[in-house]
Amino acid sequence: MSRSHSPDLGRWYVIAAPYFWLFLFFLVPFFIVFKLSLSDVATSIPPYTPTFSWSTGIGDFLSKLDIENYAFIFSDPLYVNAYLSSLKIATVSTVLTLLVAYPMAYGMARAPKGWQPTLMMLVILPFWTSFLIRIYAWIGILKPEGFLTLFLMKLGLISEPLQIMNTTTAVYIGIVYSYLPFMILPLYASLEKISPTLLEAAEDLGSRPWRAFWQVTFPLSLPGVFAGCLLVFIPAVGEFVIPDLLGGSETLMIGKTLWTEFFNNRDWPLASAVAVILLLVLIVPIVVFQRQQQIEREAGR
Amino acid sequence: MSVATAHDMKANMAGVQRTGPRTAAPQSGFAPWKDPAKSPIVRFENITKTFDDFVAVRNVTLDIYEREFFALLGPSGCGKSTLLRMLAGFERPTEGRVIVGGQDITSMPPYERPVNMMFQSYALFPHMTVEGNIGFGLRQEGMAKDKIAQRVDEAMAMLELRPFAKRKPNQLSGGQQQRVALARAIAKKPRIVLLDEPLGALDKKLRQQAQFELMRIQETTGTTFIIVTHDQEEAMTVASRIAVMEKGVLVQVATPGDIYENPKTRYIAGFIGDVNVFEGKVAAITDGYIEIDAKDGYRFKTRSVEPVSVGQQVWLALRPEKIRIAHDQPVSAVNVIPGKVEDIGYLGSISHYHVRTAPGERITALRANSAHTVERPISWEDNVWLDWPVDAGVVLTA
Repeated sequence: MSRSHSPDLGRWYVIAAPYFWLFLFFLVPFFIVFKLSLSDVATSIPPYTPTFSWSTGIGDFLSKLDIENYAFIFSDPLYVNAYLSSLKIATVSTVLTLLVAYPMAYGMARAPKGWQPTLMMLVILPFWTSFLIRIYAWIGILKPEGFLTLFLMKLGLISEPLQIMNTTTAVYIGIVYSYLPFMILPLYASLEKISPTLLEAAEDLGSRPWRAFWQVTFPLSLPGVFAGCLLVFIPAVGEFVIPDLLGGSETLMIGKTLWTEFFNNRDWPLASAVAVILLLVLIVPIVVFQRQQQIEREAGR
Repeated sequence: MSVATAHDMKANMAGVQRTGPRTAAPQSGFAPWKDPAKSPIVRFENITKTFDDFVAVRNVTLDIYEREFFALLGPSGCGKSTLLRMLAGFERPTEGRVIVGGQDITSMPPYERPVNMMFQSYALFPHMTVEGNIGFGLRQEGMAKDKIAQRVDEAMAMLELRPFAKRKPNQLSGGQQQRVALARAIAKKPRIVLLDEPLGALDKKLRQQAQFELMRIQETTGTTFIIVTHDQEEAMTVASRIAVMEKGVLVQVATPGDIYENPKTRYIAGFIGDVNVFEGKVAAITDGYIEIDAKDGYRFKTRSVEPVSVGQQVWLALRPEKIRIAHDQPVSAVNVIPGKVEDIGYLGSISHYHVRTAPGERITALRANSAHTVERPISWEDNVWLDWPVDAGVVLTA
C-alpha cells in the first residue's frame, strides 16, 4: 500500500505547512510575550524577572509569575482610556475609509473593462513608496505653514493657518489615506462580481436607480464591506506610526502607549500585558468576521 | 401589417379564416392582426438602433396585439434582443418610436414602463428568498404587506413554487429558477411580459414542458407575451405570430403555419425547418399553375399565385415531408425525379432519406415509419423515385 501512502503524505505536508508557520511565528512569540506579561520589571539584563534557570527548576520559575501587570492596567485609567480611544479612532477612521472607498470601488467596478487594470494599478501605486515617507509627506501638507494652508490661503478661503497637525483629525486623515487600498480592493472584488443584469431586473420591476442600489447592489457588496472594514479596523487599532507622527502628544492610542512602556520606561512585562489585551480586543472582531464568512459559505452551498 | 383586404373582411364575417391557399397548419380563430378595428398594444414605429457603426435594428415597424404570444425569431446577432430591450427601456432607439397602448414611451425609464421582463440569465436576486424575489416588484409600488403576500402566493401557486418559498435562488434547480423568474415577471400583472430566451438554459425535455407551461400561464393570465428566441421549434410551439429577423431587418411576420407553409424567402424557408430548394426559370404560367425549368434540366409544375413572369429566376422550395419516396416509378405523376439513396437518418418515428439525383443534386425526403414491418425497406444505395404533387411546393422570388 506504499503507492497510496505517498499522496496522503503530500497532502499532510500541504496542510501542515501553514500550521507550522503559524506555530513558529505566531504561537511561539505569543507565548514568549504572554510569559513576559506575567513577569515583574527589574533593573537587569534582560529587564524582567524571573528568568528561567535550570538550577532553581521550573516550579520555582512558575511560582514567581503573577498577574499584577494586568491588575495594574485595569486600575490605571490611562490604559483603559488608551484602549477606548484607540477603538474610537479605529472605528471612526474605518467608517470614513468606507465612505471614501465605496464610491471609488463602485466607479472602478462600473468602468469599462479595459480601464479596470489601470485603475487597480493606480490604487496600488502608493505602495511603491515607503509608508513612513508617505506619512512624513502628510506632515508637510498638514503643518500650519504647510501646503494645505498655503493653498487655501491663496484661494482666499481661510485667513488663519489651519490647526490640523497634532490633532486627532490629522490621525484620521493619515489612517484613511494609508488604509484606503485595503478597503477598496475587497469592495471592488465584491462589486465587480455583481451582474449588471440584476440592476436591470430591479429597474424593470419598478425600482428607481437609487433604491435599486440599496436593495440590490449594497446588500450584495456586504462581504466586501466586512472584509474591508476588518482589514482597516484591526491594524488601525494598534496603529503606532500615524498617531506618533501626525497626532502629537494630544492623541492617546494604545500602540503609542505600548511603545512608550517598552522603550521609554523599559517596562517589558507591562508592555507585554498591554499587547496581550490588545490581541484579545482584536480577536473579537476577527471571530465575528469568521462567523459571517461561515454563514455565507453555508448559504452558498 | 394591419391592413386587411376586402377579401379578408368578407372571410372574417363569414367566420372563415383563410390565408392564401389552405395549408395543413391549424387555423385558430384568434387573429386580432386581421381586424382593422383593433389597435395594437405595442407598436414599433420605424425603429432603428445603431451601436457605433453597427446597425443592430434597421427601420423596423411592427404591431403586436393584446393577448398575443408573439415570437421574435432569428439567429444570434439579428437584433431581436435589442428590439425587446428597447421595449423594456434598457436601450433607446436611435430613430423611431415605441408606443404602448397608444402612449409614446420611447424615452420613458424602465421603472415606469408597464412591462416586465424575464431575463435569459433569470437575474434572480441571490440575497433574497423565492418569496422576496417574486414580491420585489410589488414592494416598489408601496402595496400593503398582506396584499403583497397574497399576490406572491398566487404567483407561487400558479407555478408550483410554494414548497420553495423560503429558499434562496442558489438552492434551486435550473427549472425551479426558471419558474421563479417567470413568477417574478408576472407578479405585478404587467400589460406585457417580455421573455428573453427564457428557456435557453434548460435541457430539451424540460424545455418542452416549460413551453407548455408558458402557454398555460399566458392563456390563464390573458397577458400579452413577447418572446425572443433563436429556436424555431420553440417559436412554432408557443407563438400566435412569429416575426423572423435577419441582420436587423424584419423579413416576415406571420402565423407559424404561414411561415412554414408560405415562407417569403429562401432564408426563412431554410431557417424554419428543413427545405429542398431548386433554382430555375419560369417556363410557363397557366391558370394558377407555374411551370419551372430547373437548372438541372427537370421541369416542375406547381400550383402558385405568385406574380411572376416567364423567364424570371425563381426558386421552388419543398419541405422534405411533402416528397414521396418509392422503389417503383410512380405512374401518371408530375414532378418525378430518379435518384440513389446516399444516407438515411433513422429517428425512430420518422426517417430522413438523402437522395442524390443524376445531375448531382441532393434532395431530402422524409417518411413516417408508420408500419412496424416493411416488406422492402428503402436502404442505402437503393435506386428510388421521388415525386411530389403540384400543391406541395412554394415558389420563391428571393
